[in-house]
Amino acid sequence: MAANFQHPFQCFHFVPRPNTNLLIGSAGSKLYSYSAETGERLAVWPQEVDSANANAVDADSGSEQGPPGKKRKVSASESQTNEKSAWSSIPIVTTTTNGEYIVALTAEDKCLRVFQLQEDGSFTQLSERAMPKRPSAITLTSDDTTIICGDKFGDVYSLPLIPSDKLPVITKALRSAKLSHPAATNLTVHTKGNRRALEQQLRLASVGKKDEKASGPTFEHTLLLGHVSLLTDMAYVSLPVDANKKRSYILTADRDEHIRVSRGPPHAHVIENYCLGHTAFISQLCVPQWAPEFLVSGGGDNYLLVWKWAESRILQKASLVDESSQATEVAVHGIWATSLGDLRVILVALHGSSLLQCFTLEADGTLKAQNPIQLSGNVLAVTPIEKDNTILVSVDPIRQPDTTQEWRASPSSPSTLIEAFHIKSSTDTLEWEPAAASVTEKINSTGTDEVLATTEEKQRKELNDSLYGLGHLRKRKGEDE
Amino acid sequence: MSQPPPKRQKRAEYRKQAAEAVGDESAPVGKVKLPKKKFYRQRAHANPFSDHQLNYPLSPAHMDWASHFPAFVNPDPAQTNLIGTRNLLKDVEVVDIGCGFGGLLVGLAGLLPETLMVGMEIRVAVLEYLNTRIQALRMQQQQQQKIQSQSQSQSQPPSSTSTPAPAPTTPAADADTPSDAPAPPDPNTSTALVPGGYQNISAIRSNTMKFFPNFFNKHQLSKIFICFPDPHFKARKHKARIISETLNAEYAYALRPGGLLYTITDVEEYHHWILRHFRDETAVEEAENEGPTVKELFERVSEEELEKDECVQVMREATEEGKKVTRNNGNKYVAVFRRKQDPEWV
Repeated sequence: MAANFQHPFQCFHFVPRPNTNLLIGSAGSKLYSYSAETGERLAVWPQEVDSANANAVDADSGSEQGPPGKKRKVSASESQTNEKSAWSSIPIVTTTTNGEYIVALTAEDKCLRVFQLQEDGSFTQLSERAMPKRPSAITLTSDDTTIICGDKFGDVYSLPLIPSDKLPVITKALRSAKLSHPAATNLTVHTKGNRRALEQQLRLASVGKKDEKASGPTFEHTLLLGHVSLLTDMAYVSLPVDANKKRSYILTADRDEHIRVSRGPPHAHVIENYCLGHTAFISQLCVPQWAPEFLVSGGGDNYLLVWKWAESRILQKASLVDESSQATEVAVHGIWATSLGDLRVILVALHGSSLLQCFTLEADGTLKAQNPIQLSGNVLAVTPIEKDNTILVSVDPIRQPDTTQEWRASPSSPSTLIEAFHIKSSTDTLEWEPAAASVTEKINSTGTDEVLATTEEKQRKELNDSLYGLGHLRKRKGEDE
Repeated sequence: MSQPPPKRQKRAEYRKQAAEAVGDESAPVGKVKLPKKKFYRQRAHANPFSDHQLNYPLSPAHMDWASHFPAFVNPDPAQTNLIGTRNLLKDVEVVDIGCGFGGLLVGLAGLLPETLMVGMEIRVAVLEYLNTRIQALRMQQQQQQKIQSQSQSQSQPPSSTSTPAPAPTTPAADADTPSDAPAPPDPNTSTALVPGGYQNISAIRSNTMKFFPNFFNKHQLSKIFICFPDPHFKARKHKARIISETLNAEYAYALRPGGLLYTITDVEEYHHWILRHFRDETAVEEAENEGPTVKELFERVSEEELEKDECVQVMREATEEGKKVTRNNGNKYVAVFRRKQDPEWV
C-alpha cells in the first residue's frame, strides 16, 4: 500500500463551528472532514463504508442466487481505486460563514450539491442541482441564503441555498420558447440550398414532431448576468455607504481580460464599471473581507493588479516573477487574503509552483513583498486559522515540485498532503516557521484515496489536467480565418 | 498547395491596389474610385465565441481614435491618451454593431456631420472593403471641395484662395471644416458635396459581443444601431444572437440615459425576440412577477416618434441588407428603444 500515491486536496477549508472546529477538504472524487484540534478524520462523502458494504452485499447475493460471474470481478481493492461515481473530482468547495452548509461542485455531472455539516463532521446532502453548463465559479451572498454560480459559457445564475418547495413557474419562456414552425420564411432565405432546408423543416413541423429535449433546469434559478466568454472567478462584495446602509456588488472575471462590476441582485443587469488592465486571462479575484474596497486580481499575466475596484483604478502592478525570468508563462493558481495578528497578508500561488508568495497589503492598498514559503510540493490550496496565526497549505504529493506533468519517481510514506506554518512573533517583517502540528501529521498519515503508482500515462494526463488546467485558458496566436 | 486559386489571387491583388489608390493623394480628380464589393465577399457568418486575431484596446483610454478621425484630432499635441496617441475634440457617439458594407454609416454621415460614428464588423474582408470605401469617399469629397472653393474664389478677391490645409497626422486627411453645401447625402453621385465630407465615419474590426466595453466608456453613446442581425435560426444557436438579456446590459452600460438603440430585421420571429428582450408591452405584468430584469432599463419609442426620425429612414433604405430585402419584397420590422435612467439603489 505504501507504494501508492495519495490524492491531493484540491480544496481545503478551516470551518469554525460552535463546539469543535472542523477542516474539510476535497480530494479525488471525495469530501473529507477532520477535527481541527486533533486532525482525526471524521467523515468521508460519499461514504466509503456504505460502498464497501454494498459491494459485500452484492457479492453475497451473487453467490447465493447463482449467476455470479460478472459481479465477482469487482473486487474490494478495485472498487476503492476505480471511479464508480459520476465524477472524478470536486473542484469547488465553499462554506457559509457559520460553517453550517457546504456547497460543492462535482465536476463531470455539473451538479451543485449542498450539504449540511453536522457537529460530528459528517455530511448530509440536502440537494443536488445539475446546472446547464459546467460551473466555473461559485460564491454565496453575504446573508448566506443564495448561491451565485458562474459557468463556462459566461452566464451567472442565482439559486436559493435551500430550494423552496414551490415549483418554479416556467419563467424561462424567453429561452425555452419552442418554435412550432421555422422562423425563416421564403421572404428571408433566398439560396437554393436554404430554401430546400426550409421546405424540409416545414414538412417536419407539419408532421408535428415534438422537441423532446428538456429545456433547462427544473429548479428555481435566475439568470443574473452574462459574459460572452468563459467565466473564471467571481466575488460578492458589500460596501458600506454610510453607518447603516450597505450596497452589494458582484465582481466577475473572464477569459477575455475583463473584470465587470455589477450591482448585486436583483439589479445585476446594471453594470457599474469595468476594471480593465490585464492583458491575459484572469483566473483569480480576491477581495479581502477586512478591506472590501480593494481587489487583487491575477491570471495569465506575470503580475498582480491591485484595484480600488469601485473606481476602476489600478493602485499597483505587483510583479510575480524575477526580472530575469520574464519570458516564462505563468498563471496565478490562487490568491488568499488573511489577517494574522496585526498583519494583513495576501498569499499567492502560481500554477504548478511549490513557492507560496507572501505580500502584506499596506494601508494605501499597495502590496509589499515578504519572504516566500517553500513547500514540499505544488501549492494547491491555503486556509488560514486566524486565531492561531497559522496557515494550512495543501500541497501536491504526486507531481514533482514545480512541474505540472511529471510524477515523482516513488510515493513517500506517509505522503505530505498538508503543511502548517506559523507566523514568527516578535518580528517586524513577516516571517514564517513550520508549525509542528500534530494535526497535519494525523491528516497526512491517514491519507486520502490512493492513486496507483502504476497508473498509465493516459490516466496520469487526465489527472494532471483536472488539477492543472489553467494553461488552456491562454489564447494561442495564429488560429484565425 | 502550390498556388492560391486564381480567383483568390485576383481578389487579393484588387484589394491591395484599391487600398493603395485611396492612400494616394496625387490621384487626379475623377480617378478615385469606390471599391467593388464583389472582390470582398466573405461568408455571412462568423463564430462570435472563437478567438479571432482581433486588435482591441486594453480599455477605452487606450484606443487610438486619432487615426480613425484625423479631421477631429485635438489641435493641442499635448492632449494624448494612455498609449500616447492624440485625443479627439469629441467622443464617438454612434455605433453600428455589425455594420457590414457600411451602407448605414455612409447614409448617416451627411445627416449627422458633427457626430462621430463608428461601425464594428467581425468579418475581415468586409471591413477591408468598408475602410477602402470610406477613404475613397473622403478623397472624392476633398477633391470636390477644392474644385468648388476654386470656382468660388474666382468670383471673390484672390486673398481667400486658401484651400484646406492638410492635417499633420495622416497624409490622407485634410482638416476640412464641414461645408454648408445643401447637397443631399447621396453616396452614389460622387460629385455631390456631403456635409462633413465623410470625415465623421470610420470602421473597426471587432467582436462586439466580447469587447464592446474595451472601446466605450459608461454612457458614452447616444445611438446604437443593430441592423439586420444574423438571425441564427436554430434554437441551439440562439446564444450567438447579438440581442440577448445579458448583452443588452452591456448596451445599456455604453448608452447614455435618453440614448436610443435602433433595431431592424426582416425575420418576424427575431423581431419578437428583440421585443421580448427589451420591452414587451403585452407581457409587462408577467415580467413584474419575475423581479427586475434588464428590461427595466429600456422603453420602446412610439411609431409617431419614429416617423420623424431620419435615422430610421436611412436604416430602412440605405443599408445593403435593407436594399436586398426590398428587392426580394421582404418585410422590415423596426423597433427602437430608449435607455432609461438606472433604477435607484435599493
